[in-house]
Amino acid sequence: MATEEYMTPGEIVGKSYDYIAGPGTYLNPSNNTIYACAVGLKRLIPASPNAGDNRPTVEVVKEKEHGAVPEPGAIVTARVTKVMVRLASVNIICVGMRAVKEKFTGTVRQQDVRATEIDKVDMYTSFRPGDIIRAEVLSLGDARAYYLSTAKNELGVVSAESIAGATMIPISWTEMQCPLTNQIERRKVARVI
Amino acid sequence: MEYISPEGLRLDGRRPLEMRQLHAQLGVVDKADGSAIFEMGNTKVIAAVYGPHEVQNKNQQLPDQALVRCEYSMANFSTGDRPRRSKGDRRATEISLVIRQTMEATILTHLMPRTQIDIFVQVLQADGGTRSACINAATLALADAGIPMCDLVTSCAAGYLNSTPLLDMNYMEDSAGGPDVAVGLMTKMDKLSLLQMDSKLPMDIFETVMQLAIEGCKAIVRYIQDVLLENTKQLEYQKGLRS
Repeated sequence: MATEEYMTPGEIVGKSYDYIAGPGTYLNPSNNTIYACAVGLKRLIPASPNAGDNRPTVEVVKEKEHGAVPEPGAIVTARVTKVMVRLASVNIICVGMRAVKEKFTGTVRQQDVRATEIDKVDMYTSFRPGDIIRAEVLSLGDARAYYLSTAKNELGVVSAESIAGATMIPISWTEMQCPLTNQIERRKVARVI
Repeated sequence: MEYISPEGLRLDGRRPLEMRQLHAQLGVVDKADGSAIFEMGNTKVIAAVYGPHEVQNKNQQLPDQALVRCEYSMANFSTGDRPRRSKGDRRATEISLVIRQTMEATILTHLMPRTQIDIFVQVLQADGGTRSACINAATLALADAGIPMCDLVTSCAAGYLNSTPLLDMNYMEDSAGGPDVAVGLMTKMDKLSLLQMDSKLPMDIFETVMQLAIEGCKAIVRYIQDVLLENTKQLEYQKGLRS
């Protein structure tokens, strides 16, 4: 199915009765023509057999990748910057496996830290500034930050430094131990798979 | 002054309908999402595109389309020992506006609501036709950034001196003060998105001069297309090597 054809913006890709316009293309309804709107390789994707429409989708694949952007449901990796009574502020570093290019901030609210006894959560025994956490994006949040949740077993603190400055070892769901001083600190620990 | 010699050659040795040599390069600014250098003869322009990203000034945010911003500047060393233009900021603001409007017409802004796209163009070397060179560089940088556009816009200028239409005037011809028609063309759709003229021309001569500029635009787009396709193939090749 690989047709080696490169497109630049404005070039005619096909007619709308032959194809469905996909990413990297746009449709001019007045003459039923599909044009390219990006530079890249033209690709045809055959229609799925159970769809009512049997036209293949045509798309123009851009060569350059854009930075990852968090979206609801995505698992993100973030660094805690500030812990307050009702919420913790974090900086999002990765979305899934991809690092972000721009700065995104998130907040983990008290009721989103764990799944049970959500009103008895103490933020200060769940996170510390500098911790690396894994969290799920709940929603796009307000104008400033994404709303994140760690209310799952595999979500929470994945890496933390003790007061002595060593990377701590998780010993239970709520505790981590410093290998230098054997001091135990409390965290909402993630079960890393 | 004589701008065309009896042999029919211009001051820099070109024929009246001849364009200067074009050169373009993509991805020259690492930090930017898209960037390009565009040269027309001795005119050299660099463009960088950032975005689409979040709107910096929240009250400029548009709910249904992207905000396009453009900043034009001239490097202090770009004019050499020629007399410095004292018009200063007024000229820069006007050209910024022209570039912004031209690019906004081709970017599919409605696909990226509540975002901002910044275009920065700087003239590194000025030898006439900077406005056109800036638009061409901005088009390349936008395409390099992968920003959806309905067509490639190119721009070219044409003038009329010694009762001869001249394509792509240089600084010497520009400063003759004769008519100077700058045209921006959405090439595949054959639509004009920019038309400016200094000084005056009779209607019928204006038609021919404008048509000449349009032909110039079409020649430029062929070159720009080649550069873009070559760059895409290069990227593909590099990707192929890595995987």
